[in-house]
Amino acid sequence: MSIDLDRCTGCEACVVACHAENNLPVSSPDQAEKGRTAHWIRVDRYYEGEFPDVKVKYRPVLCQQCDNAPCEPVCPTYATYHNAEGLNVQVYNRCVGTFYCANNCPYSVRFFNWFAPEWPEPLQLQHNPDVAIRPAGVMEKCTFCVQRIQRGKRDAVVENRPLADGEIQPACVQSCPAEAMVFGDLNDPESRVSKLAGSGRSTQLLGELGTKPKVFYLERAK
Amino acid sequence: MAASVPELLPYAKIREDLFRPLSSGSSRYWITVFAALAVVVLGMAAWGIQVRDGMGVTGLNRPVFWGFYIVDFVFWIGISHAGTLISAILRLTDAAWRKPVTRAAEAITVFCLMIGGMFPIIHLGRSWLFFWLIPYPNPRMLWPNFRSPLLWDLVAILTYVTGSVIYLYLPLIPDMAQLAEHNVPWRRKLYRILSLGWTGSDREWHALERAMKLMACIILAVAVSVHTVVSWDFAMSIAPMWHSTIFGPYFVSGAIFSGIAALLLVLGILRRALGLELYLTKHHFDNLSKLLLLMSLLWFYFTFAEYQTVWYGNEPSEMAVFASRIRGLYAPYFWIMVVCNFVVPFVLLGIRKLRTISTAMISSVCVIIGMWLERYIIVVPTLGNPRMNTASGVYTATWIEFAITAATFAGMIVLYLLFSKLFPIIAVWEFKPHAVEED
Amino acid sequence: MYLIADFREQPKLEAAILALKAAGITADDMDVFSEEPVELRRGILDRPSRMSLVSVLGAIATGGLATVGLYAAQQSYRLVTGGMPIFSFWGTGVISYEATMLGAVLATFGWFLWESGLLRKRDKNIPVPTVLPGVMCLRVRCFDPHVTRARQILDSAGATDIARKEVA
Repeated sequence: MSIDLDRCTGCEACVVACHAENNLPVSSPDQAEKGRTAHWIRVDRYYEGEFPDVKVKYRPVLCQQCDNAPCEPVCPTYATYHNAEGLNVQVYNRCVGTFYCANNCPYSVRFFNWFAPEWPEPLQLQHNPDVAIRPAGVMEKCTFCVQRIQRGKRDAVVENRPLADGEIQPACVQSCPAEAMVFGDLNDPESRVSKLAGSGRSTQLLGELGTKPKVFYLERAK
Repeated sequence: MAASVPELLPYAKIREDLFRPLSSGSSRYWITVFAALAVVVLGMAAWGIQVRDGMGVTGLNRPVFWGFYIVDFVFWIGISHAGTLISAILRLTDAAWRKPVTRAAEAITVFCLMIGGMFPIIHLGRSWLFFWLIPYPNPRMLWPNFRSPLLWDLVAILTYVTGSVIYLYLPLIPDMAQLAEHNVPWRRKLYRILSLGWTGSDREWHALERAMKLMACIILAVAVSVHTVVSWDFAMSIAPMWHSTIFGPYFVSGAIFSGIAALLLVLGILRRALGLELYLTKHHFDNLSKLLLLMSLLWFYFTFAEYQTVWYGNEPSEMAVFASRIRGLYAPYFWIMVVCNFVVPFVLLGIRKLRTISTAMISSVCVIIGMWLERYIIVVPTLGNPRMNTASGVYTATWIEFAITAATFAGMIVLYLLFSKLFPIIAVWEFKPHAVEED
Repeated sequence: MYLIADFREQPKLEAAILALKAAGITADDMDVFSEEPVELRRGILDRPSRMSLVSVLGAIATGGLATVGLYAAQQSYRLVTGGMPIFSFWGTGVISYEATMLGAVLATFGWFLWESGLLRKRDKNIPVPTVLPGVMCLRVRCFDPHVTRARQILDSAGATDIARKEVA
């Protein structure tokens, strides 16, 4: 995935879309104060300078699906591992809730279900039937909308055609009004995301840690 | 200079003194047991609420996903190193003063391991599925992830528990044989079964002594590895100020440190409560105090080296944690820890005039508090100051966590009190008649 | 037939044992019972032991088994985690080590039970002396021609009480 930081306006449409698509539990004000909200994609804000010369920078942070993920080796039950497609998968059924993966994630993109999830009326009618509702005690995080990936692959097989670049779009990518986010196959050198990832503006978040993240942030070189 | 020959304690008196606690039970004893049991029940109720309602009833949050439970886990496993040091090392160096102290120490080890071993289950989001970490045959052909430090924890602690129980049991066998004539029928049966038909023949003694020597070596190797493995739960992660090579030796020495403190405290209480002044003498407490002082200095050395390295490296994400511990939110706990772990033992035990049994016990209590705080300082500030500082957070424990923590201390008291009533707390057979010391 | 003699001083016990051995009674036929371990001098009543060997063998066996088991388990369940290889000794070495130690512990304990004779079926007819504190009981198994000679030796060595027990 690539995210163009020069286009991002910080509108957080991606956050809302992710909530809607992935049945994210809704928190309450006092739980939020205790630090128990879950936003699989969040927009971090960085303020520079003093009023009136304030600059704000936005960075949407989601699971980087690292190729060298620190969260994977430490899970004792293999509830998180790297699948053949390069996704860092989270198997809800296998998670016993040791919290080790969340402690090891340098991006802080993992979220825990502290209670059984609840939605204020009538939000529970809006649930996406393709996405599991996670029970209490289970860790969750961005899956690159794996349900959309699966549907895209299935459709391509059924219709007997190869997958087109840009056909599969996670909810956040689909909903971005500034079209700052691009999703595709990094293994395909002709895909749009590969070209953007290889461009001069491409950077990685905390890349120096060697996690090999697969989200590339495009920003003007300083 | 005393002109008279020092009086030797007669055999009969030794046996009477060391067996007496097994029969008499004052009301003070039973009140303590039942009060402690009440606290244990409260803790279990708290855990029940946690299992029913979810981990949200604790103070844990994002990013502080580990809190009191992990602190307690490391704390109790650490104290369990008491028995290993005293029993194994002193047995191997043939230090005679260890004799009245070994069983008390080994009992501490076994019970602390049992209590500490509960926490990897208690802290789970889905505790009832803890057995998925155990490799058992299942229809889906699933294996756990042996590369995870938590699996290493599982195997290490299981090995240590097995070894410690055997190490506690072996020298108990001859005493069981002696007690097999006890007057209460169910106890007679219990002791006879546990004595395995011990007759006291030289073959049996030789085998026992050889086994004890071997077990001492093995248990020492296991103990060092166990707390190293526990420390690697932290060191194997890349969280700032956790990913440090010093954690292995740091935790082992810290464990021995807190273990000696616990042992000192327990012996001080036993001495008064069971009337064992002739057996647990000033000499023993003096030696244990010196060991405690030594470990305090070692602890200070490791802590200083770790913080000095971080400060000099000045790496931003590590310095955020460093500042949080030394000057920030956790500063009060940090400095209380330093006072408890270093200043108090150094003054009270380093100055010979001040080194008495009472000051040794005060130092021990301080060290126990200080070491609990040390675990807290290691776990919480790092998690509260993650690399992405937009995710930083504060942890406040709830009554659930306090209740469960209190229940573990109460549980330790119950187990130990019951043990001292069923089994002689000083190994009678190891205790030859010795001269009565001027106390 | 068993002779059971009580001794209160170790040098006298040692002298008695040596004299009995000179008279032809083997170490296998002699047992010393006591409430605490008696440290006899070397060569008097040595009991050869294989405990260290058994312990080491148990350790190696269990450790090896565990490592092989780990390898098989990792290969049969090839899930990729981070950049780590599927099987690496560094990734699972701790488990091999702990298994080795566990093997040593169990082997030592098991062999102790065997070598001490606690686990073997005891012949109920062989008398077991009740030992008083501070007393070392020597039990000698001997047959008719030697009995009087053995009794003499025990007497002259300074045994405080000599009892003669027939095997029923």
